[in-house]
Order: sequence, then C-alpha cells, then structure tokens
Amino acid sequence: MTVFPPETDETPIDRLLRRQQTLDTPVARFSKEQAELEAPRFRELIPLTAPAPGRQYAFEVDLDKCTGCKACVAACHSLNGLDEEETWRDVGLLHGGTAREPYLQTVTTACHHCTDPACLNGCPVNAYEKDPATGIVSHLDDQCIGCQYCVLKCPYEVPKYSKSLGIVRKCDMCHGRLAEGEAPACVQACPNEAIRITTVDTAEEAARHRNSASGGSTFLPGTVDPGYTVPTTRYTGRPVPADARAADADTPRPEHAHWPLVLMLVLTQGSVGVLAAALAMVDPLPALALSAGLCLVGLKASLFHLGKPFKAWRAFLGLTHSWLSREIIVFGAYFPLLLGALLLASPPAAWIPFAPPGFVFPATMGAALAAGLAGVFCSAMIYHDTRRPFWKLHRSAAKFFGTAWILGAAGALVVAPSLPAALLLIAGTLAKLACEARHFHPDALGPDKPAVGSTRVILCCLLRVHANRLLLGAAGGILLPLLFLAGAVPAAVAAVLAFGLCLSAETTERYLYLRAVVPFKMPGGIAS
Amino acid sequence: MKNTLLRSWTGPLTERLVRAPGEHGLGQVPAALKPDTVVPSVCGFCSTGCSLSVHLKDGEAVNLSANPGYPVNLGMACPKGWEALAPLAAPDRATTPLLRKDDSTLAPVDWDTAMRHFVDRFKTIQREHGPDALAWLGTGQIPTEELAFLGALAKFGMGIRHGDGNTRQCMATAVTAYKQSFGFDAPPYTYADFEESDVLVFVGSNLCIAHPILWQRVLRNKRSPEIVVIDPRTTETAMAATSHFAIRPKSDLSFFYALAHQILRDGSIDREFLARSTTGFDEFAAFLAPHTPARAAEASGIPEERIIELARLIGSGKRVSFWWTMGVNQSYEGTRVAQALINLALMTGNIGKPGTGANSITGQCNAMGSRLFSNTTGLLGGRDFTNPAHRAEVARILELPADTIPDENSLGYDQIIDGIEAGRIKGLWIVATNSAHSWIQQNRCNGLLDKLDCLVVQDMYASTETAQAADIVLPAAGWGEKDGTFINSERRIGRIRKVRRAPGQALADFHIFQLLARYWGCADRFARWESPEAVFHILRELSAGQPCDISGIEGYDHLDTAGGIQWPYANSKFRISNSESPPPPNSTTPQLPDSTTERRLFADGRFHHADGRARFLFDEPRPLPEAPCADFPFTLLTGRGTSAQWHTQTRTAKSDVLRKLYPQNIYVEINLTDAVALGIRANDPVTIRSRRGELTAAAHLCHTVQPGQIFIPMHYRETNRLTHSSFDPHSRQPNYKACAVQVLPAARYRTHSAG
Repeated sequence: MTVFPPETDETPIDRLLRRQQTLDTPVARFSKEQAELEAPRFRELIPLTAPAPGRQYAFEVDLDKCTGCKACVAACHSLNGLDEEETWRDVGLLHGGTAREPYLQTVTTACHHCTDPACLNGCPVNAYEKDPATGIVSHLDDQCIGCQYCVLKCPYEVPKYSKSLGIVRKCDMCHGRLAEGEAPACVQACPNEAIRITTVDTAEEAARHRNSASGGSTFLPGTVDPGYTVPTTRYTGRPVPADARAADADTPRPEHAHWPLVLMLVLTQGSVGVLAAALAMVDPLPALALSAGLCLVGLKASLFHLGKPFKAWRAFLGLTHSWLSREIIVFGAYFPLLLGALLLASPPAAWIPFAPPGFVFPATMGAALAAGLAGVFCSAMIYHDTRRPFWKLHRSAAKFFGTAWILGAAGALVVAPSLPAALLLIAGTLAKLACEARHFHPDALGPDKPAVGSTRVILCCLLRVHANRLLLGAAGGILLPLLFLAGAVPAAVAAVLAFGLCLSAETTERYLYLRAVVPFKMPGGIAS
Repeated sequence: MKNTLLRSWTGPLTERLVRAPGEHGLGQVPAALKPDTVVPSVCGFCSTGCSLSVHLKDGEAVNLSANPGYPVNLGMACPKGWEALAPLAAPDRATTPLLRKDDSTLAPVDWDTAMRHFVDRFKTIQREHGPDALAWLGTGQIPTEELAFLGALAKFGMGIRHGDGNTRQCMATAVTAYKQSFGFDAPPYTYADFEESDVLVFVGSNLCIAHPILWQRVLRNKRSPEIVVIDPRTTETAMAATSHFAIRPKSDLSFFYALAHQILRDGSIDREFLARSTTGFDEFAAFLAPHTPARAAEASGIPEERIIELARLIGSGKRVSFWWTMGVNQSYEGTRVAQALINLALMTGNIGKPGTGANSITGQCNAMGSRLFSNTTGLLGGRDFTNPAHRAEVARILELPADTIPDENSLGYDQIIDGIEAGRIKGLWIVATNSAHSWIQQNRCNGLLDKLDCLVVQDMYASTETAQAADIVLPAAGWGEKDGTFINSERRIGRIRKVRRAPGQALADFHIFQLLARYWGCADRFARWESPEAVFHILRELSAGQPCDISGIEGYDHLDTAGGIQWPYANSKFRISNSESPPPPNSTTPQLPDSTTERRLFADGRFHHADGRARFLFDEPRPLPEAPCADFPFTLLTGRGTSAQWHTQTRTAKSDVLRKLYPQNIYVEINLTDAVALGIRANDPVTIRSRRGELTAAAHLCHTVQPGQIFIPMHYRETNRLTHSSFDPHSRQPNYKACAVQVLPAARYRTHSAG
C-alpha cells in the first residue's frame, strides 16, 4: 500500500481521511487469545461463602492503603455502565494533626449498606430492599417515583438523583458479581487492595454503634452519629485522629432549593391557616375557597418534584415507616375534606338535592382542620426525620405552623378584614421573626451549636435572600397591618398587599430553610 | 422476582444497569456494552505505560478496563486510564482545519487551504529570514513513530533547524544526568525493582497520586521495605512512607551531599565496584569534605542525627533504590541533584542489581520515545548531531543526502522562546502541547506568541489556550484514534491502537505529516514512511548497535504477544558494529533477544561511556534563583493536584467523572500558622503575587505545607503567571518548583453564587 498512488481519482486528502475512518482491529485473533484467559475475580478479597444468618456483607477499607488514586470511582463508573456524570463511589480527604506531625488521609466511600438504612425507612413506595441473605441495600429503579426523600434521609450522600432518568440510583455492592464469586468493581480496581468485602454480625454492629461506652465516635470524625443507620463499612488501619477534619468541612455550601417543595410547604400550610380562620367566620365560604385554592396549587406543585409522578399512587406503601408516605396520605385526605367543606358552605344548588344535616358541615370542617394540622405536622416530621440539626422538630414545626398562622391571619384579612386578624398577623410575624433571629444570637454561633453550619451558610452565601425575607416579612406582616389598623390605606388594598407580601416572605423563608440546611455527609475533598 | 401490582422489581429502568459476563477474559460488564472482542492498547496519559483492554463492539471502542495480562499494571489503572475514551467525545474537538481571518477570528477551512497556507507562510519566512527563523515544539504525548516522522520531516525535509518538545519541561534533567553519568540516556531499572528493594528513597515524587499504579508495585514488596520520602510537603506518599524528610525547598543538593559525606565517613562504600566501574570518585570524595551533615541540617531544617541515620540506612548494604520525579527535574540545579542520587547509588554499589538503581520516573506516556527518536536536540536513536559518524549513519539508513542532516544541535525550548522575543524566530509549529498554559512565566510566553508571523497549532482540541492564539489550527486524531508505540519509564515499548473514528476531518498526526511532506514537496524523501509500522521498522534499523537497540523486535505483533518489550532488545543480524563505542568485551548486554519480561541495565557494571565507566559529577549547591525576601516572603511550590488531572487538563477536564475528582477552581494550600498570622480563614480568596504576575485562589488551610511555603497545583491555567524563568544550565529545564511570592487576603469574603 502506498500513500499517494497516482493512478486513482481519489485526492491524497480524501485518501487519508478515508484511512483515518477505517477501523481494522484484528477481531478474530484477539477474541481467541482473550477467551483463553480466565477473568481475574479477586476471590481473595471477598468472602468464600454467603453470610451466615445474623451476618451481612460489608465493605472494609484499609485506610493505610487508600492513598488517593481514586481508581475505584472511575472503575465503578465504567464497569457498572453508569451515566456520564454519575458516580457511586467517592473519595474524600481528611486532614489535621499538628505542625510537627501533619495528618492527611484519603477516604474512599460508597453505600454503607446500613443495618438500619435511612433511605429504606424514608421511602414512601418501598423502592428499597435490604436483602435478607446478604444485607445488601438495593434500589428498585422501576419502583422509584423520584421523590428524592432518600437523598435527604441518607446521611452519607449515597443515593444519586438523575434528572434525565427521573429516579435515584445507588451502589448495590455489585451483588450480581458477588453471587458469581466475582469481586465488586471497586474491589477489583483498587491497585492497593484497600477495599474488600467481609461479613459482619448485624447485632454486634448495632450494639457497637448505638451503645458505645466511650461516647466517642465509632465511625469517621465529622460524620453523623452512626447509631442513626448503623453503617456496616469498617475503616481499618492507623487510627484516625479525633481532630481530623474533612477538607470541605469549612466550606459553606448551600443545598438545592427544591422549589416545588418550597411552594408545596408554604401553600399547604397557608391553606390550613386560612381554613382555621374560616372556622371563626360568619361566612366561611370565601376563606374556604382561598384555602382550597392554596391547597390545590400547593399539591400540584409537589408533583413537579417527582421524577415519576404517575407512579406516585403507590405512596401509601411506606405508611408504617415513612413520614413522607404519611404526609401524602394525610394531605390526600385533607384536600377532599376541604373541598367537601367548601361545597357544603356554598349556597345550595340544583345538584345538591337535599340539605345535609346540620352537624355535617362543622364535622367536615373539623375533620379537614384536623387533617390539615396533622399534615403540617407530618411535613415537619419529614424534615426532622433526616436528623439534620437545622431541620429539628422544634425549628421545623415552629416555621411550618408559623407559616400557617401568618398566612391564615393574612388570608383572613383579605376575605374578612378585621382587627383581630390584623393583630394576629402582627403577633405571628413578630413571633416567627424572633424565632428565626435566634439563629444569629451569639449563643447560637458557638462551635457546639449544631445548627451553626446553617447560620454560616446564610451569612456567607444567602445573606441577601435573608435580608429580603426580613423586609418582606416586616412589610407584609407588620407595616401593612399597622397601616390597615390606622386606616391609612384602603382596607382591601392593605389586606391584599399584606397577603401577597406575607406569601412572598414565607416562600423566601422556606427557600432559606431548604438551602441553608447542612446535610450529613462523608468527608469530601478540597472544596471548589 | 416478579413484578406485582404494588412492587416493580424489574422493568426498563432496572434493565439499564444489568450486568452480564463480558467473556474475552473479562468479568461481568454492563450488558448493554458487552463487547464483541477486546484489544490491548497502552494508555496515553502518563509514562507508567499501563495496558488497557479496550472493549470493542462492531469494531469500535465502547468501554475499557485495565488489562490483567500486562506486566506493568497487572490489571489496574488509575482514573485517567479508566476514563481514557471520554475525552475523545468532547464537543470542543477540532474537526476541521482553522485559519485566522482578517477579522482575527479562526474560521474553518479545508485541508488543502490549510496546508497551502502553512507551506506558503513557512517558506516565505524561511526565504526572508533564513533557516533559523522557523522552529517547532513537540510533545511526549504522541507515538514514537509520529515523533520520529515529525523530527525527520521538519529537519530533513522542511529544513527547520530548531525543534524541542514539552519533554524539556519534565524529563530534560534526567536525560542530561544519565547522559553525563552513564554515557547514554538510560534509566536503568525495571518496575520489579519496586518489589525487590529493601530501602526505597523517593525524592520529589508523589508516587501515590502521580503514578498510582507504580505505588501498587511498592505495596507488593514482600521485604518489609523502608520507604523514605524526601519532599518539602507532607504528600499522600509521605503519609504512606515509613519516614518523611520535609526538607526546605531546594536544599536537596546539600542534603544528598551530606548523605554521601556520611556514607564515606562510615566507610560503607563499595570499593570494588567503584574501582571497576566508575571514574572520578576520588575527586568526589575530596569535594564532599565540607559537606557535613551539620551543614546540611542548617540548609534543610532536618536535624543532623536524622541525616546521619538516613545515611546509615543507605549505607547498610541492603538493596537501596532511589526514585525521583519532578521535584528533582524541575530545578535550577536539577541535573546535579539527579547526579547526587546517581552518585549515592554508585558509591554504595546500588546499581544493576535487583531492587537498586538511581531511577528517574518519567512523566508523559511517550517522553521516553521522544528522548530517543524525536530528532530535536539529539539525532535519531540517541545520537549526536555534531558527530559526523552519527550523521553519516543516519543518512545511510534513511537514504538521504548527508548534507540534509544539520551538523549542530537545535535550540532548546527556552532558547526558542528567547528567539521569538529577540525577533529571530518568526514561524512556530506547536504539536500536541499547550505552551500558553504550561510554559514557565506565562505572561511573558503568551505575549511572545503574538509576535510570531505565523503560529501553527496541531492539536485534538481547538479550545486550548495555545490553539486560541494560533494562525492555523490543524485538527489531530488523538490516542485511541491512531496506531503506534509508546516507550514507558522502564524502557518498555508498548502498542497503541486505533479503536475509534476521529471526529470530522481530524487526521492522525502521522497522516498530517504525510500530507505536509507532499505539500512541502519533500514526499520523495519519506517514501518509506508510509505507515506507523513501516516507521517502526525504520526505527529498529536506526537503533541497531545503539544502547537502545530494538532491532530484535520483529514488529507490532511481537509487542502484543510479548506484553511489551524493554529496550535493549538486539538482533544479532543488525549487529554489524557501526557504533563508535563497540560493546565492551565482557558485556552481558544481550546479543540475542532476551525475552525476560522485566530487565534492568548495568548488571555487568559496564556503562555507556567509551571506557565503560560511570562518572561522578557534582557542583557546589547554589542559592535559589529567587529566594524569599521581605517583600515576597513565601516560597511557591507547584506540582500535581490529583490523580484525576493531567497537566494542562486539555483532556482530563473533558471527563465528567474526572472533573468530579478534583477541585474545579484554583486553590492554594497554606499552613495554618501563616493563615492565622495573615488573618486568612478557610476558603477565603487569597491573592498570590510574584514579581511577574498575580492570581486569586481559595485558601485551603493545612499542616501539610510548611510555614513560609504555599502550594498550588500546576493544572490551573493561572499558576504559571507566578513562576520564575530560571533554568538548569545543563538540561535547560525550567525551575517550576520554587519562586518567591506574597500572600495577601483578598478583600472580600468568598461568596457562593446561588445555584
């Protein structure tokens, strides 16, 4: 073959371009040669037999051998066919020590296949399964509705949400490989044999993590109390100094806003508040209509949060363990009750052939309110149940019920302007702003205060949003009701403005609530 | 499990992640990517030279895994290797030639137009300004066959006198040190030496993240070795070592002379070896007299007792190996530092035996190929342009008129840059390197690129900082889109393969050179250079009789079946001694191919100087070219950031997975004590200023850099704004590792944008 044979019509450039596009790898020969090789299966790094009863598979990482090559992350990606930007393993960095004796340690981490998995406990549709034989926590991709509650629940950032797929996916410890006596991808790929699979006694692990006599952490520094989920991964090697810190520990990093959740929370809570106000009104119809409208939009917004909304009907499955399941069921009951009350309060129309007995309307109202309040409580519990300090029940409940109060009072002002409504709005706003201001009290900023991280996130990344929240709240919840009381502006204008501003203020507050939370996580790398 | 009304155990989403036996020697693989076959190909990032099993479906690569059957990597790869296919699919690949228009934008043109412009403008420059007005800058990233073609075409075809490579930035010091000490650029070791050593001394090498697959070999050492790390920073490797000497930056030369001094004083030298195989030891011994451990303690900050202790370990008679990387090479006196390590190995007889050696660990995947065959500062096959016999030999083998071969050496990289500044060099051709990011003292270099009459950049990506400054961009096929061979750190020649189609009109560099030869009008001189494998056979001929003899390798298939072959691998057929220094009579250098998988050099104690003896070379340590002072009180250290980053990141930044594994924005490691004194908190933006430029980086506070020092990874484009143009006088390698800077807290607290 010569490069430029003169006798052809093809130009030299075309010829080279054609050659460039020709792939002529010697398929047949290599197939034969490679087939003769037996795949290395790294059997010495996995248990010889399946776990005995009461035991389960677990990752064991020898930190002395984890020296930061990160091959495990890339190999897991390639050998499991993950999406381009998807990774199930990660490598973080701990550092600390002293000037004389610096400490540096990379930490490879994936799912800990916890004995009490928070992801599984939180899932409203039972899309998680803890295999009774192996203890592997696997995810049923076709069951998942993409609510991402597991992402909030897992304190190790394991489930990864894929926007394009609309579901989360996670490490399954390559259970199919293990079943065939082949090591998981990360185990196969570690040049230093730092990762292996062992079996652990689940009861012992629970006892070790939950009844630690020393009071010190039985897991890595800076991670959540392992009693929460009882992770099974064991980190061995030189002891990690207690003062070691993750390289990203000092980096305030706002979380996702989850706008559909922001709107859902504020609007359902507003709906419940307005419903409560309706109870005190002579003519509850306008209030009920407003309440139903808020609820409808709120629930609709929540659907936008789901990657697979059409599968959400299974959300009752998690009732026994998932606060999200409970919230969905309770609000699922609240809305029809609210609609019922609305219909009952409406003037009798042709389609109601008879007047219902007198107790039906107050009973429906009462039931709706009870459901609404239960729903708001469930909402608060959803966040509380993640154990994130900023979302603890007292904070979450104060905010959520506070929103119901404020929007209830502001709503009442709109539909039936009154002195008590204005006073209740001012009181509610003052109380809620005072509550929120406590984050910034010097006492709250001490290093031992668990929510200090959130305060730092607000101070350094969300300060402008926070200022907006204060201004909107003060204008809508204090200034306008005062103007209304003073009669300085027409009542209707003041009321509608107050309601609009309060709605914006509460939405902003909720945005901060979601963004400023500091999740639990494994040690991360140098922040970027 | 079967699906029920309430539980979907399977379905289309579940099936996306199903794994199936891969066959072809693989374990389970993603079912959707199950290959028809796999082919081995050596990785195209670093010089470790790992073999990757590329999974092919319908003849094209769909995935890859680490090759378990290769003696280098034993089934392992680092993240760059695992992700080697990802950068090929990047959206910013150069897909057509580009030409700078009058409005100063780069516009697509066809190959014919690009080639005509290239030839026309280069010939015009040559005509108007003479043969010294053109130069090229090459690379260690393309196969040896392409490097040789580039060098031969440029010098013997186009009459370009000056060419150098980015290997000047990484390996030049090791090359010079070996040439001067051993008589040839011959890294003596094989990777098995990591496993067979009792004492491993790593100098300026963060092996754990820079060459993680070599660290694997260290961990396979069953002799419970002492692992000594000498590095100003507490790196991953320092943490994993048994002892760490955090010497002050660039106190290395004093430190190693003190070790030699102490070994001499203890009498733990190998007198028999010194007498038989070396020359100049007595002068060295006399030179060492004032270089006491006490003096080195003062220079390095390491207590005298620890220096003596280390000297006794090295002199203990155990198998000691010395390993160095850029901490030594990228220094203003790197050649002498490397030779200080060579001297330690020679005086203790730690060379040519298992688990010993003074061993330079190379950087780029084909730096070693470039060292022997790039035809830049050395003539093809490790020869010398100034040697008439060498020129005649090459002219004979290549069937060229003898006068086509220049009789003087090229300018080095730094001299080419100086030439541009002085207006002597008007046309520059850059192949597969990103000078605008990587060259030292960036602001100066980038200003100079604009001074050129014509800058041609040949690269996979039109988006590199250098390509953006070009007048003509030639789109190149990358690793995985072409054939050829690389030579790794342990002298192993391995094969790379075309497993993907190049995008658009991109062509393999090899094809671009063929095309250029035709447009320049010198194609007849390269009639034999018709394919990479044909060139490989030319290289075999060129190597015959040289220390790097590969004439015994039959061809590419031989490389496949042997699992790569280390040089020398001579074939007696070619051994018609036309070399100036015939092999010494008692040489055990293999006359016939030695098929041992792992071989080291100098087992016979004979070196490549005419007298067969190694030399002791030394000089007084000199002060830092730019020492810290009152105005610029900090020393800036630079180096590799993570295993997921490669040099200027033209490729590694194209992989989503790799991008997750390193900080996206520039950061600076600052000692906590300094940070407190300067009022810098974690993540604060910090301004770092040198006499040449400044940058702002996020502060990462730690103890792993010493007070008075800061560290910034080289991968961020801003880093070289700060570095100082100083060079090793022997190797001309830039001194990237230490310059004086100020550290100032930037005024504003770092705010994260919403999102």
